[in-house]
Amino acid sequence: MNEDHSTASAVKVSHLVKRYGDMLALDYFDLDVRQGEIFGLLGPNGSGKTTAINCILALLTFDAGTVRVFGEPIGPTSYALKRRIGIVPQNIAVFNELTVEENIDYFCSLYVADKVRRHTLVNEALDFVGLRDYRGFRPSKLSGGLLRRLNIACGIAHRPDLIFFDEPTVAVDPQSRNAILEGIKQLSREGATVIYTSHYMEEVEQICDRILIMDHGRHLALGTADELKAMIDTGERISVETANLGGAADGSNTAAMLKRLRDLPFVLEAVYDGRELTVRCRNGEHNLIDVLNILESSGTNIGHLTSRQPTLNDVFLELTGTALRD
Amino acid sequence: MLQTLLITLKLHFRQKIQLFWLFAFPIILATMFNGMFGNISESYKLHTFDMAVIENANWKANPGLQTLVDGISTGKGSSGSGMEGRVTDDDDGMPKLINVVSTTSRASADRLLADGKAQGYLYADSDGRLHMAVSESTQSNATDVMANSGSLGISLTMLNNIVDLYNRNDMAVADILATNPTAMMDRRLASSIGASSGYTKEVKLTNFKPDGTARYYYALLGMTALMAMSFAVNAVTMAQANLSALGIRRSVAPLAKWKQLAAGFLASWFCSFLSLAVAMLYIHFICGISLGGREWAAFGSCAAAAFSASAFGTFIGALPKMPTGAKHGLCTTISCVLSIFSGLYGSFAMDLSDMIARRAPLLSLMNPAQQITNLFYDILYYDSFAPLFRTLGTLLAMSAICLTAAVAFLRRQRYEYL
Repeated sequence: MNEDHSTASAVKVSHLVKRYGDMLALDYFDLDVRQGEIFGLLGPNGSGKTTAINCILALLTFDAGTVRVFGEPIGPTSYALKRRIGIVPQNIAVFNELTVEENIDYFCSLYVADKVRRHTLVNEALDFVGLRDYRGFRPSKLSGGLLRRLNIACGIAHRPDLIFFDEPTVAVDPQSRNAILEGIKQLSREGATVIYTSHYMEEVEQICDRILIMDHGRHLALGTADELKAMIDTGERISVETANLGGAADGSNTAAMLKRLRDLPFVLEAVYDGRELTVRCRNGEHNLIDVLNILESSGTNIGHLTSRQPTLNDVFLELTGTALRD
Repeated sequence: MLQTLLITLKLHFRQKIQLFWLFAFPIILATMFNGMFGNISESYKLHTFDMAVIENANWKANPGLQTLVDGISTGKGSSGSGMEGRVTDDDDGMPKLINVVSTTSRASADRLLADGKAQGYLYADSDGRLHMAVSESTQSNATDVMANSGSLGISLTMLNNIVDLYNRNDMAVADILATNPTAMMDRRLASSIGASSGYTKEVKLTNFKPDGTARYYYALLGMTALMAMSFAVNAVTMAQANLSALGIRRSVAPLAKWKQLAAGFLASWFCSFLSLAVAMLYIHFICGISLGGREWAAFGSCAAAAFSASAFGTFIGALPKMPTGAKHGLCTTISCVLSIFSGLYGSFAMDLSDMIARRAPLLSLMNPAQQITNLFYDILYYDSFAPLFRTLGTLLAMSAICLTAAVAFLRRQRYEYL
């Protein structure tokens, strides 16, 4: 291979169009996932994430565009390519009639015929997700978190080069979630390319090297978490708990105080609900000291103060106009 | 593919609800049938009595008595169990009514009755007349409709008639000898005296003696086969990405779809065959329903019926745009409704089935439940295997159509919707 591993594409989607009747699910959608990275795919429900993944996996037909996986076009009979792919679907996809070990072994057997090698891989997968002690259990006996881990083990036991994780932490306790996220990072360190979709933006921010935000089947923004945050106007968000904004307990100075704050060149928005003042600042400037100076000079008693840098949620909100879970 | 086949088998055998409906339910139903119909056939079966024969001087003076007893006994002098048993046929096909327990006096015969070693006794008086006595318990059993199926009374009546017939013949001969002894020189008269004339004759038209209840059991096998369609529906569903998350996972795997479906089909076929075979063996050995001595043909028919059921199930499983639950519902509905027309639900259903077969033979031909029922019917009743092969051909043709349609739905399927 003459391509650099760090820049070669694991998945390249160009101008993908998918229609469900009159509805356009993918609107000339583009995607380029580099080998070895953890790639986050963010979008609200109905934005086209799952449709895009299903097209990439050759499960769905599409109307126009191209999909290449590891440089090759993929189709239902691209068995050599499929052998390098693992999938962890959002819905638990295991057999309730089989034990944990039998489930992993069966799904691994679809990729690896050799029994001896499979035995090793199954044990590794059991260790990887921490289910060795539960190997003889039926899925119905597992907790939600353990079931998710089993779902993951079934998708990764054959050691794929490209793994799709579709909302793998839904309804999972914090301990299991951390274990799952740590596992995904481990897979990436071992060379696997990961495409990760989630509603939890803090997770995406925590583990993804690059993130693509999509809505209405379109590519909206792509970059690292910091790059995405830099793309929006919103910067620091300052919150101050105070009962006397402007120094007067009767609230007579509140309107004037808010006007002073809004007149600051870096302030996008300042609101006060009688208990907490929230100041949304423009991106790229350090504003906290200026705001504090104004509040102190007016005699405002400051109870609790926080300053928060923009999150992916802010990015998402600004780009799509909706909260992610809408 | 082998691994998928083995896993699918394992899955089928671990689904308790499916196991109940496909293995336990037919047995439960057959047991109910046996409870309902078992007494009907039982009441037409003759029983063998343990009869003491008082071989005193009166008896020995009339050698015709011994000839009669030899004719209706299973073995002179055999010791009985004290309980009546089913009549068995000897070599010439004549039913035997009594087991003989020899004794020398009425007192000893009474003791045998009291000890339960005989149910009655036969003795001759000084005139050479034959008499029969039965124990009180045998008499009360014969008249107690709750305690027996009626066959005991019938057997007793037969025995009594035989005794009467012997006495009448004996008296007729004595009378002829007394009034017109030369008449006995006529051979036709002499031979007609000993002969019993029958007014009906049993003629064997079919391979096996017809059994009115067998049809219910065969119809039950037809329903069992159709219920086994759900094995194939499950197998197809698990391979379809638009129907289950498991289908997505398997569709992404590098195993050709046809291999997954073939493995599922084979597993369904095997499980359906097993389900049918278990039901058939139960019906044969426990319920006593005959297979006409053609057990291997019956097993072959089970295999063919199971193949057809798997083909129909594959077709239903492959129907597009229908959720899994609806497909299982369709299987249940089809098996229950079509079983009406194969006669499973009583005499009304039998009449309906016969009427359809007479007036709309094509409908009857297209009913897989009817065809599967016919498989076993053909085995039991026809001397030739030709009707069986015709029914097999019909079923296999239907299976081929279903499989072709299923393959058309599933072949290289990529989904417009998931």
